[in-house]
Amino acid sequence: MADHFAAFSFVDRITGFTPGVRARGQFAVPAVLAAFPSCLVAEAVGQLAAWVAMAQADFRVRPVAALANEMRFHGDVPPGALLGLAVEIDSCDDEAVAYAGRATSGDALAIELLDCLGPMLPVAEFDSPGELAARFDLLRGPGATPGRFHGVPVPEIVRGAGVPGESLAAVLHVPAVAPFFADHFPRRPVFPATLLLDAQISLALQLAAEAPDLPAGTQPAPVRMTHVKMRSFIPPGEVLALDAQRAPTGGGAGQIMLSARANGMTVSTARLEYAPRRVA
Amino acid sequence: MAQQEITRDEIMAVFPTIAETMADALGCDVDDIKLDVSLIEGLDAESIDFLDMVFRLERAFKIKIPRGKIVENARGALSEAEFEQNGLVTDAGLAQLRAYLSEVPAERFRTPTKVKDIPRLFTPETFCKLVISAQRSAKAAS
Repeated sequence: MADHFAAFSFVDRITGFTPGVRARGQFAVPAVLAAFPSCLVAEAVGQLAAWVAMAQADFRVRPVAALANEMRFHGDVPPGALLGLAVEIDSCDDEAVAYAGRATSGDALAIELLDCLGPMLPVAEFDSPGELAARFDLLRGPGATPGRFHGVPVPEIVRGAGVPGESLAAVLHVPAVAPFFADHFPRRPVFPATLLLDAQISLALQLAAEAPDLPAGTQPAPVRMTHVKMRSFIPPGEVLALDAQRAPTGGGAGQIMLSARANGMTVSTARLEYAPRRVA
Repeated sequence: MAQQEITRDEIMAVFPTIAETMADALGCDVDDIKLDVSLIEGLDAESIDFLDMVFRLERAFKIKIPRGKIVENARGALSEAEFEQNGLVTDAGLAQLRAYLSEVPAERFRTPTKVKDIPRLFTPETFCKLVISAQRSAKAAS
């Protein structure tokens, strides 16, 4: 179980904690990584909120990713950075946790999460309640040893048909085996929603980069993601049909409607707003 | 405790905001949100959409809607045991449900009705009543 609390865990230490109300924490992004995507920064914020929610419920239930009304992307987080994490819990009971949060890198705001909601499910279905409780004590005390995260394998994405600048389809092959499944989650492996969002953002930016209204010398950059809704769990080995539909909003910016389907059923939907950023 | 009747004027006062909120949550046109359309059978809503709609309505109206509040409201003065037995809505419960969901055509109520199938009856008007009820509770508490 070397990957448990390592392969997909993004809170090293909880530095401030008001039960059921708020928390602050930190995560040292390993310097050896090639990159640390914004979606993993969002994952770190969500995990801090999950710790608060699980502690509030005495580790009987845990939240799972479901709704994020808005994620604002402010800047990239380079490998080697120390992420500062903060969450404010709007409400938390055995049914769901509602929260907002943010991550900073140095003095710079990296990401904000607004109006997020995670339904609570029995912890024992996913992980050992006892091990989670012990881990929480460690995080609230001396903290975990940094540098446990070694990156995630990039899932295979096969580009499909589309209309340049208007729509783009792709197939994402969720790996059948990956280290992060031992951490997310040990008793029930689930493809992390944030990795799906990362793949969908990549697809959206490919579509936006081919748009005829993109100003010369710029490339599309994500501004915010809204209406993120995860409808079902994605197991290892699943094949997902991704779809992106673009609607220009002027000035080279636009909104892209994103969806993922498995076996003909929609498993997630989201909207990405992007804007042109001048290439350095 | 007897519930004060919800008037048509009260429903129409909150409906525009509820229609906008539901359309945003379901990703459909606001014109698709009719007062009496079935959210599940007419608008393909799933359980996560109900969670989303309640979450959005809480913020839009600055109210708190406890989980399971719709069924609790629908139950009215009946106790849980009077309302359901072994997962099925009792005759008394069904009569109460028909009265609370008065906007739902009679043919959409099945006999027997499973408790887990009650959400299949929900319409935007159901949520209008839910919001009005929560607003009244908040006003009474203040």
